[in-house]
Amino acid sequence: MRRLIVQKSGQFVIIAVLMIALMIISIAPLLHRTVTYYKHEPWEEYLALIGSIELNSERLVTLSLANYTQTLNQNILTEKLEKWQIDIMKIYSGHGISLTYETAYLNHSWKKQQSLSVANVTFTLDIESIGLEGYKFTVVELLNLTIIAIDESNILVSVKDENKAPVTDLEVGNFKVIDADTNSTIGLEQVISDYDEKEQLIYRLVCNCTVPTSVVVEVWSPENIHAIAKYSP
Amino acid sequence: MKGNNAKGQMRVVEVILASFVIIFALSFVNIFAVTPTSPKYEVTELEKLGYNVLHDLDKQGLLPHFVYSEDWNNLTAALRVSLPMDVYFNLTVYDLNRTQINDAPIFYGDASAFENSKNVASVTYGLVGHDSYNPRILVLQLVRG
Repeated sequence: MRRLIVQKSGQFVIIAVLMIALMIISIAPLLHRTVTYYKHEPWEEYLALIGSIELNSERLVTLSLANYTQTLNQNILTEKLEKWQIDIMKIYSGHGISLTYETAYLNHSWKKQQSLSVANVTFTLDIESIGLEGYKFTVVELLNLTIIAIDESNILVSVKDENKAPVTDLEVGNFKVIDADTNSTIGLEQVISDYDEKEQLIYRLVCNCTVPTSVVVEVWSPENIHAIAKYSP
Repeated sequence: MKGNNAKGQMRVVEVILASFVIIFALSFVNIFAVTPTSPKYEVTELEKLGYNVLHDLDKQGLLPHFVYSEDWNNLTAALRVSLPMDVYFNLTVYDLNRTQINDAPIFYGDASAFENSKNVASVTYGLVGHDSYNPRILVLQLVRG
């Protein structure tokens, strides 16, 4: 063995073994990929289909919550869900799609220092053409408005979504301030976004007069979801 | 004897280096490897591409924005940017009664490619609405040019 390693011809054997080993190692993943390539491919197409149904169902819940906070019609969500159930079968006819919902919940808790509007729906999706059965997903939409503090002509508020993430890009047009005692609207000069360690992002509503002790703040999110908070000493 | 050993070891090093060169060459060639096309897989591939592109545009909020504002030019541009250059497309937007909504073509490529090719993929995509409940059906046809 030692002779084989020390001599030139022995080293050639080592070289040959090394080369073959390297070739096998480099070819193995290539062969594996070739064999399994089409096995996984068809599923990717359906992942986008399932994703699109989830995304649009989520958008439906957002639309319903926005509508509910404008009209306070409790039936609006179930009406839209029932329409969507039928329409989705028309849209994807031939796929054997069935979308059902188990719980549909709409609620609001307004005129408190911490107010919220919320919708919650659990869907079950079946797609016959790919053998998908009982795929559940839950959609929660929430808008949380909190009046943090009042300071002369400034009102500090935080606006958060269902993930407790701040709602960004809110401007003067997204807010309304009302004197809770006289019910008169207070003009807003500007809305400034500030960083806050606890809340991450807060909005400073700069009013054109001194803010009364008792005040109501209304907000409309970019999706038009409405919430009303009240601050009183 | 010592000299022979040193020579032999050097050859081992050379061959290891040469092996790396071979592996690198194989990997490089693999980048340019063209997946064999068969009618079945070609259509599957295009369908997957179509679904992914529409889903990505929908996730970004661009698709509902363009469809509900009937901004067909920008929708065509968005699809052209998102799809590979050699993939031709023809998108038609319908309402739930299958009445065509787009008055201008949302089209890119050679019309004859859609007529002559055996591998035309068709993808159906649904949108629920933008500011109100108003579903739209998008039918995207794809063919490789």
